[in-house]
Amino acid sequence: MTRGTRGRAALIGTATVGLLLVAWEASVRLGDLPEFVLPSPSQVAAAAIDQAPSLGQHIATTATEAVLGLALGTALGWLLAVLASAVASVGHATRPVVLLSQTIPTVVLAPLMILWAGFGLTSKVVLVALTVFFPVLVAATAAIRNVDAEYSDTVAGLGGGRVHQLWLVRLPASIPGALAGLRIAATYAVGAAVVSEYLAGESGIGVFIQRSRKAYAVDQIFVGILLIALLSAVMVAAITLLRRVATPWQSAAAHH
Amino acid sequence: MDERVPALAAVMDVTARRADARAGSIPAPVLAVRDLRISFPAMSRGARDLEVLDGLDLEMGDGEFVAVLGPSGCGKSTLLRALGGLMDPRARVSGEIVVPRDGAGRRATAWMPQRDGLLPWRRALPNAMVGAIAAGIPGERALPRARRLFDEFGLGGFERAWPHELSGGMRQRLALLRTCLAERPVLLLDEPFGGLDPVTRRRMNAWLASVRLTERAADATTRDSTSLAAAPGSGVVLVTHDIDEAMMLADRILVLSDRPGRVVHEERVQAGTHERYDRAALLDALDC
Repeated sequence: MTRGTRGRAALIGTATVGLLLVAWEASVRLGDLPEFVLPSPSQVAAAAIDQAPSLGQHIATTATEAVLGLALGTALGWLLAVLASAVASVGHATRPVVLLSQTIPTVVLAPLMILWAGFGLTSKVVLVALTVFFPVLVAATAAIRNVDAEYSDTVAGLGGGRVHQLWLVRLPASIPGALAGLRIAATYAVGAAVVSEYLAGESGIGVFIQRSRKAYAVDQIFVGILLIALLSAVMVAAITLLRRVATPWQSAAAHH
Repeated sequence: MDERVPALAAVMDVTARRADARAGSIPAPVLAVRDLRISFPAMSRGARDLEVLDGLDLEMGDGEFVAVLGPSGCGKSTLLRALGGLMDPRARVSGEIVVPRDGAGRRATAWMPQRDGLLPWRRALPNAMVGAIAAGIPGERALPRARRLFDEFGLGGFERAWPHELSGGMRQRLALLRTCLAERPVLLLDEPFGGLDPVTRRRMNAWLASVRLTERAADATTRDSTSLAAAPGSGVVLVTHDIDEAMMLADRILVLSDRPGRVVHEERVQAGTHERYDRAALLDALDC
């Protein structure tokens, strides 16, 4: 995209969101919907300002859970992908277990995690890590599998052994895939953290939403939803940035 | 090293062989292939096995540059992969391949693929260093040499470039530089300039020939050189389908038949003659 078309795309996107907000505000006011069914954007904004002092702590809790869980899940998924590509039997041994575990939606494991790891940070981090692990594993595995046989042949043809293959070819080849998986996983991560907070916890966006629900403060629920969206967006943006730093050969290619 | 072809008959110790030969004063080959047959099992039921090489013989003497010339698909690349220890494990191999080995029993060959094989995630200098890393050459020795070779190979100033930022000719030179940094005496070059346009390709050939000749001349004084075929027990096997390339670079040219490949013609440099090779004979052997 050239600079001009990119600017135009951003303009159209912003205008659409603005129009939707205006339509929402207008339909609530003109349609005379009660506030406990659908609050207007201005009411949500007012609620956000009202709750602002307490929101920081909730955001920090959820962000900590999501970031730690992402880091743990990504490290495990990536490690397993590289290991399974280097040692075939590791792949054979883990594949059925990993596939079976993926037939269980991770959020249904939340009660178990809380039973085993308590109400605190650990249970939530583990749950996020479980959610994140699979997409990273799949994307990194695909990236390693798709790497040109030419590269490993080149290394072998110069006298390189297994360790060289791993260090020179497989590991770097898996980075773009792992990061692509991480980017998808980042949006799941915040969701998984919030769901685990629904069940138990003292702070977090999930806790804030549950408390608002009990108080019938629909406008505050909307504030919570908005925060989840914002947090996910920030994380995706951070990963996009990380991608540029960690795979400079790819971002360099994009500039040409 | 990972030996991919257990089926290969005796890969022998060349030094012993050379000592024997020296006694009889016959120059022993550094690298030899005898009655090599390679076929691949049929991919689908009912189809016939794919015979790639059919009793191929090849010898490379000390310091010799041998070109293997043949039509596309005649099994040239398969031959080179067999020499470099890169055979597909599904291949059926019979015959004898004698490749020099170093003190640790590793192949003394460095293979350069048809496409350059540059790793997209490494800048130019680290890409060249792959040759040294894979061959187990310590960095403190390889790095100064790599920097010097960058200038000699016309790549000076591009040390930090990504492979995709280099032109086709530069990429091939970088790949060749990487192959040299492995410090293996025998180079196996698979159509090193195959992907280039004819003009660039001619330039590359002229350049390669000049590198080689100057290094040969310098060889007497310095062992540590750009040398493609200077160290003792060394040589080059080049695979190509380009007659001019073969004529320009090689001391000896072997012409292969269509698949399944075997040697149908051999040309040697005529010492003292102005014309290095009989071009008509080569064309005739290639059946064109």
